[in-house]
Amino acid sequence: MLAVALAVTVAAVRWARTRNGALRGADGEEADTIPTAVLEELGVRPADAELTVVQFSTAFCGPCRATRARLQQLQATRPGLAYVDVDAESHLDAVRALDVRRTPTLLYLRRDGSLLGRSSGAPRAEELTALVDAHTGARDGWGG
Amino acid sequence: MPSAPARLIDTRGPRFAAAVTSVVLAVALLTAGGWLVAAQAAVFAAGGLAGLRYAPYAVLFRTLVAPRLGPVRDREPEAPPRFAQLVGLLFTVVGAAGYLLGAPLLGAVATGFALVAALLNAVTGFCLGCELYLTVRRLMPARTA
Repeated sequence: MLAVALAVTVAAVRWARTRNGALRGADGEEADTIPTAVLEELGVRPADAELTVVQFSTAFCGPCRATRARLQQLQATRPGLAYVDVDAESHLDAVRALDVRRTPTLLYLRRDGSLLGRSSGAPRAEELTALVDAHTGARDGWGG
Repeated sequence: MPSAPARLIDTRGPRFAAAVTSVVLAVALLTAGGWLVAAQAAVFAAGGLAGLRYAPYAVLFRTLVAPRLGPVRDREPEAPPRFAQLVGLLFTVVGAAGYLLGAPLLGAVATGFALVAALLNAVTGFCLGCELYLTVRRLMPARTA
């Protein structure tokens, strides 16, 4: 029984190290647009920036704090980035509509409102920075 | 939801507590020790219900471990690890009841889940109990503030 628990833990640790916080592209089965009504309810306006990052947080989420600090820091130095922190508990309809299951969940939106991708769990700082730089760096933007 | 200013704790405290919890639950699982699981449940209850400053492992950390570790590098709000204590309490109560009331398989499975969560937290800092919060919350109807 202890061996089973240890094996499960090893698998979970491996999962947490590789998948947690990793960006998942919006292609595939997931719709790559988010209903306008949901965005409006959350106060998200993708047209205002090259890249809009929407973070879902709760009061019982430890890593949300570090992710928030990181994004606020990036926002201060990258004018093309907009950041919206959403309290998941007060927007449960949106949480269900967007199938947010964990916190922090981050949605990455292009200027045209389409979904670039999402991630669940705290993203690694350098990956987050690279992603933001890749999508806010170009002067002309590319999202339309 | 707590509206008072968030109480901040040393992030190393919950990691230490998770490590101690892992050892306790591993021994409990090896020995099918229902009373040991019950003792761990009492530890979870103290931290989860009364606050982490009353949690036995947190007291141990503050008095014996922290003074030897050097200055605090990072603090975090108390709410997430405290919520996780309540999730741990739930699993260890079921585990202890299973062992002590003649359902050893139930006892072992519930204790095993608690051990996996504690070990994962100790090794990576990943808080499984905290992750469950939104999953459970979104199943319930919206609460009007």
